[in-house]
Amino acid sequence: MDFLTLFCTATASILAGGLYWFVCVLGSAEQKGKAATQLSGGSIAHEKVQDKFKQYWTFFRRPKEIETAEKVPAFVDTFYNLVTDIYEWGWGQSFHFSPSIPGKSHRDATRLHEEMAVDLINVGPGKRILDAGCGVGGPMRAIAAHSGANVVGITINEYQVKRARLHNKKAGLDKLCEVVCGNFLQMPFEDNSFDGAYSIEATCHAPKLEDVYGEIYRVLKPGSLYVSYEWVTTEAYNPESADHVEIIQEIERGDALPGLRSCKNIAEKAKKVGFEVITEKDLSSPPAQPWWSRLKMGRIAYWRNHIVVTCLAWLGIAPKGVVDVHEMLFVTADYLTRGGETGIFTPMYMILCRKP
Amino acid sequence: MRLITHNMLSSNIKGVTNGFPLRIEAEKVVEKEVDFNPDFLRNMFSKIEWKALTDASKALGYAELPEETEPSMLESELFLRKLHHALLELHLEEGALVCPETGRKFPVNKGIPNMLLHEDEV
Repeated sequence: MDFLTLFCTATASILAGGLYWFVCVLGSAEQKGKAATQLSGGSIAHEKVQDKFKQYWTFFRRPKEIETAEKVPAFVDTFYNLVTDIYEWGWGQSFHFSPSIPGKSHRDATRLHEEMAVDLINVGPGKRILDAGCGVGGPMRAIAAHSGANVVGITINEYQVKRARLHNKKAGLDKLCEVVCGNFLQMPFEDNSFDGAYSIEATCHAPKLEDVYGEIYRVLKPGSLYVSYEWVTTEAYNPESADHVEIIQEIERGDALPGLRSCKNIAEKAKKVGFEVITEKDLSSPPAQPWWSRLKMGRIAYWRNHIVVTCLAWLGIAPKGVVDVHEMLFVTADYLTRGGETGIFTPMYMILCRKP
Repeated sequence: MRLITHNMLSSNIKGVTNGFPLRIEAEKVVEKEVDFNPDFLRNMFSKIEWKALTDASKALGYAELPEETEPSMLESELFLRKLHHALLELHLEEGALVCPETGRKFPVNKGIPNMLLHEDEV
């Protein structure tokens, strides 16, 4: 081979390798996690993703004015069809925030936050607990592995159930973890059947918090504990401030929330359905380190991911709507960051309750 | 879906007073081997509705479980192995779970039971 051919071959190989790395390796939140080339609209057909996105965006235009609360579950389901793959790709298997911990990776910080939830409800091997709003099961796996308890997760999104089961099997946790497709506002479980329950940043999707709390109360055995990490506005939130209102409304819109509650009202809703409130605490308050720093770092990743997703959509590998969804999540991430920096919003208001 | 899960699912359609247990219509059943763990089984035993499990197990084609149980059986490896098989190794891949009161079928596809209610059932 003469020098020119060798040079061309070497250059082409390097470019090909670089391209592969750029598309398939970079951007992935975890090694051997979801790749950009596998992005889909969940259970939504490839060609319908963009339309579904537009429907979603129009419905959640003014979340607090949603009159048809009955339509909310269907739109939450649509939301998760649209975002689940992108979340798995760019964020990981745990669809929630955690206080950042100096010296620890996001993955470790996330796991510690999840393990704390199960420690609070004090369960171990042989106990059966409920994960209300389990997503693709990131928390469920950490919690089952840490406590040895049997976890049953419920999610309204069938695509997430599929993904959760796949991950459970891969992790060797499918004996301890099970996932059911259902609505946590009407759970298909008998009264008094669980030894404990937790919900991590999921009850915010319920139009009325007392409805999901009431269901959780119903299926818990007397004497059991329930812990929830709630998305709420804080005491610092001022509804007269146009800036504050904009931040909260855009968070609601970009995350399928029918209306964020205030931290001041959470305990009363738990008591309303019969719970005793043991403790409540904003887990983001100092000395906890910011949960939003992970979103800010994502700005750099955004542009790289945006290029990848746009190319894949243009090639027809990813559905067209995925570009719109990715953009929406980026804009929303910005509002979430502002919510964190101004201190008017927290995604980890912890409430620990007991069914008498 | 394994029978350990079926044993806790019930029909929650509005107006139904006793939605448990759901009757199984099995179209495709798969057996998947799982490591035998007697302690786990002993822990789970007290939570199981036994008749619901024996009926469900027969619906999936496994009729080896005893109709009645007593605590001394938990020391018998033979019994535990049968329990292990029925509870954890039989999977309903395709079929339906039927509400005992209304007859409404909740589909099971690719092992996933879809318990979402229709608008008029809420």
